[in-house]
Amino acid sequence: MTTDSLELAAARSAPRVNVERSLLIIAGLFILTSTVSLSILRRGNDLHGWIHLIVWIACAVVGAWLLHRWLPKRDSLLFPLAMFMTGWGLVLNERLAPNFAERQTLWLVVSMAAMLAVVATRPALRWLRMYRYILLFGGLLLLLATIVLGTNPSGQIGAPELWLGFGSLFFQPSEALKIILVAFLASYLGEQYPALRAEGLDSEQQHRLSLSPRIFGPILLMWGLSVVVLIWQRDLGTAVLFFAVFLVLLYVASGYTPLLAIGAILVVLAGIVAYQLFDVVQLRVDIWLNPWPESNTRAFQIVQSLMAFAAGGIFGQGVGQGSPVYIPVVHSDFVFAALAEEWGLLGVVVMIVCIAGVVVRGLRVAVAQPGRPFHSLLAIGLSLLLGIQSLLIMGGVLKLIPLTGVTLPFFSYGGSSLLMNFISIGLLLRLSTEEN
Amino acid sequence: MLFLLRLISGGLLLAVLLVVFLFLWRDYHSAATRVEASRRTYGRLTLLYEVDSNHAVAGPSYPLLPITSLGRAPTNTVPIDDTFASSEHAVVAMRSGQWWLEDRQSRNGTTLNGMPVTQPVIVTDGDIVGVGKMHFRLDLE
Repeated sequence: MTTDSLELAAARSAPRVNVERSLLIIAGLFILTSTVSLSILRRGNDLHGWIHLIVWIACAVVGAWLLHRWLPKRDSLLFPLAMFMTGWGLVLNERLAPNFAERQTLWLVVSMAAMLAVVATRPALRWLRMYRYILLFGGLLLLLATIVLGTNPSGQIGAPELWLGFGSLFFQPSEALKIILVAFLASYLGEQYPALRAEGLDSEQQHRLSLSPRIFGPILLMWGLSVVVLIWQRDLGTAVLFFAVFLVLLYVASGYTPLLAIGAILVVLAGIVAYQLFDVVQLRVDIWLNPWPESNTRAFQIVQSLMAFAAGGIFGQGVGQGSPVYIPVVHSDFVFAALAEEWGLLGVVVMIVCIAGVVVRGLRVAVAQPGRPFHSLLAIGLSLLLGIQSLLIMGGVLKLIPLTGVTLPFFSYGGSSLLMNFISIGLLLRLSTEEN
Repeated sequence: MLFLLRLISGGLLLAVLLVVFLFLWRDYHSAATRVEASRRTYGRLTLLYEVDSNHAVAGPSYPLLPITSLGRAPTNTVPIDDTFASSEHAVVAMRSGQWWLEDRQSRNGTTLNGMPVTQPVIVTDGDIVGVGKMHFRLDLE
């Protein structure tokens, strides 16, 4: 029996290193190829791309080495996939908005350091659970501070003011708030888990359940918070994301299916009200229903994005050889369209597989923690945060759903987003080593 | 040259797909075999369809867990679709090296080889457990 399990352990640990290493090597080669193409197209008289490549390689090597030392039993897909997507994102940034690419590279270093710090902090998960009210309070203070002091780095008047500025450095607190909320909810629901389960499973009590404050209290709290984000910040994407992730968490914790229907009704209601009240929402819905009459004015962005997808075809135009820069602010929200134009369907499929891979591994981590509701719920929340956010922006860019301005995780330009995504990955890696 | 680089980068994208797919495939298989292995160790409960009083045909079988619950609720280890069964009807559990059958105060009672079960009893290989109108044969390994 012992030799069997030893062999099993050996067999399981041997391919782990291989997968991580080979994925990182492929990713490095891919970024190298793209950088070479870019520098040929620019006739070699600019060295920026190479700096990003070198920084990326340094981060990958240091990260993989330290992870190997600190967490030998970690999940082997999360880190290389995150690095691959980030590297791809750097190439896209360099190609689309060279002025911003340097800053993004700096954020990669910061994010890597933050991820390694999370991984190295042994009691990080315990702290998240124990100090949840302090965390929540801090998160709400951040939100309040953004409402009062928020600015927009572009300096435009009337643009959404979602950033807090420190000199030339800008941070988007709603990104941090996402993780804080998921941690808070995981901890709260984890504590309520036995009671929720008992209520959710007792078939005779099901009609009373929907009135239970255990269920309704947090729903209303989160719904209210999303509405606050929507009204004061005009941040449609974040509001929808908060509510969706929270709803799924509550559903997983209670096992009570009608919750999803209740949540969907609340979202639609909020959407109808918001459509009447806010120009932003009205605009987004109108150009989603029919962008063509206004393809030169208000719907210019989405129409150009659709054209980029069409131009991409199956194999794409090749990096630097398409013309995605016609899309306004293509480097942040519409990076998906640029990727589709230059790498085609193939690139899109690989990109979706990478994001889905991270989500699936995160859910796998959650499944492997029976009897630990906090760990499970945290893993589910973090991975679904990535997944739902990706779905929202990919659907929006493809005109499948109304456009909500969230970043595409790992790909889009945006320092706070990258930082928080890497912290999520760090937490998931930590959780994956605590499997039973 | 640029075309060549495009081919290479397309190939690398395919390589990523391949590696991820292979890894997930292998991981899925090892997880499946582990789950199978952990289920096989105890034994199973086989549903019997009665032909006449002496003959029975074996129906679907359910893996036996250290605590196996039988009843009408879908949360039971062995869910029973029979109106004569209570939602939490009976439990077969391993306690100190023995398998025990216990009735959970079900409305229509539990039987062991035709005799009603009033308090927990030890069961062995080949015993017939009756729940509602259904009968299960216990196969231990």
